[in-house]
Amino acid sequence: MSLVLNDVTISRGVGPVISNVTLEIKPGQITTLVGPNGAGKTSLIEGISGVLIPSSGSVMMDEVNITKFSKRKRANSGLAVVEQGRMIFPSLTVKENLQLTARTKADMDEALGLFPELEKRLNNQSILLSGGEQQMVVLARAFAAKPKYLLLDEMSLGLAPVVFLRLLPVIEGIAKSGVGVLLVEQFAHLALGLASEAMVVTSGHVSYQGSPKALLDDAELLRQKYMG
Amino acid sequence: MNLLPQIFAGLTTGSFFAIIGILLTLMAQLTRVVNFSQVAFGMFGGFVGMWLETGKNHLPVWLGAIIAAVVTAALSAIVGWIIATWLPNAQMAARSAVTVSSLLILVAAGAVLFGASHNNFKPLLPSVPITLKVGGTDLIITYNMIFLIALSLAVVIIMQLVLKRTMFGVRLRAISDRQNAAELLGVNVKALNVGIWAVSGAIISIAISFIPSTISNDYISFSLLIIPGAAAALVGAFKNMWLALVGGLVIGVLQNIIASNPNPTIAGLKDWVVFVLILVFLLWNQRKEVWDVAR
Repeated sequence: MSLVLNDVTISRGVGPVISNVTLEIKPGQITTLVGPNGAGKTSLIEGISGVLIPSSGSVMMDEVNITKFSKRKRANSGLAVVEQGRMIFPSLTVKENLQLTARTKADMDEALGLFPELEKRLNNQSILLSGGEQQMVVLARAFAAKPKYLLLDEMSLGLAPVVFLRLLPVIEGIAKSGVGVLLVEQFAHLALGLASEAMVVTSGHVSYQGSPKALLDDAELLRQKYMG
Repeated sequence: MNLLPQIFAGLTTGSFFAIIGILLTLMAQLTRVVNFSQVAFGMFGGFVGMWLETGKNHLPVWLGAIIAAVVTAALSAIVGWIIATWLPNAQMAARSAVTVSSLLILVAAGAVLFGASHNNFKPLLPSVPITLKVGGTDLIITYNMIFLIALSLAVVIIMQLVLKRTMFGVRLRAISDRQNAAELLGVNVKALNVGIWAVSGAIISIAISFIPSTISNDYISFSLLIIPGAAAALVGAFKNMWLALVGGLVIGVLQNIIASNPNPTIAGLKDWVVFVLILVFLLWNQRKEVWDVAR
């Protein structure tokens, strides 16, 4: 049981932006994907979530081929995505944002348990929250869906490092609850520190795949793989 | 000069413009479309209903009105489905352009099927007016007027309640905010979009069933009543249904006051109300932009 990418290529416009990715995201584990801007990380996430359909290869979730599934069908099959840019629904309150995915009150309470600071702001319009609080809403909303697999795309973007550090243990906790997490991050060291598996992509190609420890222990190796 | 009778008389057409404005606002907010064919859908359904009520068919008027609402809802849903299927992520302008095409198709089809002659819908409500005496002035109120005002108020109040108090409304607001993000959470964006189209079609058809014969029922000119309806929506900047309601009523009343002027030249200027209102709104709306450019 896992989320598997088999030789996936994602294309936009005239050509491929990321090619020949083979990857397995296992339940209960964090796989970290790092790479410079424009490497194709977000396109890969969009290929898995259904925003883009892979031009070749396949995406299998728990042995079901979901390559041609719609975004909605993927979500209902247990795939949750936290997109770049704090995707709250600005006209909704915090509670309404969470209600979109929480099926029961228990799901809602469990999601709020990740970020007790949100309880005081439940009836506030989410647009009025700080950037960090908005990202908490987005993460709690994804968790409330009770996903099997969670894709996190550059959650730290636009956040102070101290706020991002608040989110990291929560991501770790979500993985420990049995969710397979794909974490795409620009803070490579922090993200690799959480991971069981690591992947580095550069210019649309995988330049490293393996142990995150090897990258953390060897700064030169990480730099080399980052530069392609 | 006592304008009270003219003001009252203008409320009937005003409430019809208000309903169009409210529906345009709703559609723009929830489906990112300015539906130029809103009235044409209703007219097509209305003429189908009228055809069923007359000639050899002799269907009861109420049944004709129900069939008209179903036909209109179905037509509207088909166009909504086309936009949701083929232009899900397109800009509002591109999505709205589809409704210009459907307007032209419906006008052409209506002219072929029903002819360009004037027609009158059979009244669903008693056409005998009620006369009220207010301070020595006779005010004529019709059942149609009461129904249309009640319908416009009901649409706004019910929609506000649905949007703010139900999970269905939360989902609608979510797709209005970020369609793609809502879909990634498993919200059935397409079904909701098509549903909104169908409901807005049914509402405009119901409103048209209660339009009095004083408003022209010529197919083509009636379809163009979308223009004062759009002006009403513009008063609420296509965002506020209450302001669209007020806008529609104001347009109807102003038009009626001008039309009742004994001077035929002045009376002929009634259609200018819409033009002036649109101009005033655009100038008011752009005032900050002018200030920024000037700086």
